[in-house]
Amino acid sequence: MVKRLTAWVVDGDPLGFGTMSSVARGRVREMMGEVMTAQGRSLPTDDTADLREIGFRSLDFSELALRVEDELGDELNFDAPGLRRIATVGDVLDFIEHLQSA
Amino acid sequence: MSEVSLVPPASVVLVSGGSRGLGLAIVTDLLAAGLKVAAFARTVTPELAALSEKYPDHLHFGSVDINDAEAGQAFVKQVEQVLGPIDALVNNAAIGQDSLHVHTSADHLSEIIRTNLTSPLILTRFVLRRMLAKGLKGRIVNITSICAQRGYPGLVAYSATKGGMDAATRSLARELGGRILANSVAPGFFASEMSAVLGQTQLDQIVRRTPTGHLTEPEDVLPVVRMLLLENTNINGQVLVVDGAASI
Repeated sequence: MVKRLTAWVVDGDPLGFGTMSSVARGRVREMMGEVMTAQGRSLPTDDTADLREIGFRSLDFSELALRVEDELGDELNFDAPGLRRIATVGDVLDFIEHLQSA
Repeated sequence: MSEVSLVPPASVVLVSGGSRGLGLAIVTDLLAAGLKVAAFARTVTPELAALSEKYPDHLHFGSVDINDAEAGQAFVKQVEQVLGPIDALVNNAAIGQDSLHVHTSADHLSEIIRTNLTSPLILTRFVLRRMLAKGLKGRIVNITSICAQRGYPGLVAYSATKGGMDAATRSLARELGGRILANSVAPGFFASEMSAVLGQTQLDQIVRRTPTGHLTEPEDVLPVVRMLLLENTNINGQVLVVDGAASI
């Protein structure tokens, strides 16, 4: 539970008890690893790793986005064209980051 | 990379419109097969309540209007707590129609589309999100109708919604990449429905034109739904018609 709370970035609240606005990149990467592990694969440490080569498919991205939503408490809806531009692990993390800031 | 990864048999099934008719028959059949079943409908019938006495640990039911998305989603979360994660959905809830298109009010037309198409898609979206977020595989069975494939007077909007669900079934099967199997079961007209609107002479004529010699009964549909929920058949994105070949 502590691990989960430390992953939050808290905006504008000096006491740290206010609105939880986004899930940190490191935590998203951790969740991406969990999605892959559940399917018997592993997530490379290199952000330039190709998604096709590591077997991370669009449905895996959906699962990751839903896990992030669960922690965020808000929906991250997006159109398919945005997803098609994603090719590497870093792209996934960038895209999730972008969705949260949109 | 290609891996053969089968979708396991369903264990916790959510059935919409499970209080009467085919829905109730599906609930009863799945409980008898040992599955955990959650059922909702606008009105809970004594028959559904009686089933919960027979299967207290396997059946969870509630009074929920399919058009009340918030209530539906709350029910799904409740089911997960009581029975465990849902890994199968039977979209059965629907309202019928018996009016010519030109004499169907715009409001009634919207109500048919909302109940039979929009709300099931919203429920499906929510259940799928829960399944995917938990890393589950699962199965969806949409109960549609022969009306989606053949024209019948008095059923214009109803037919459009059932055709819409069949089309959604195919796209879901593609979109979900084999992780969730999505299929439709399309019964012909049930004997009970036909007898309510047709005279005996007309009924006899339809039966004569049906190669199997009898109209569809809920019992004809149950094994097909059960198969799609439990068996490994590689059937995905299909519409299985159960009508004794009356429509061919």
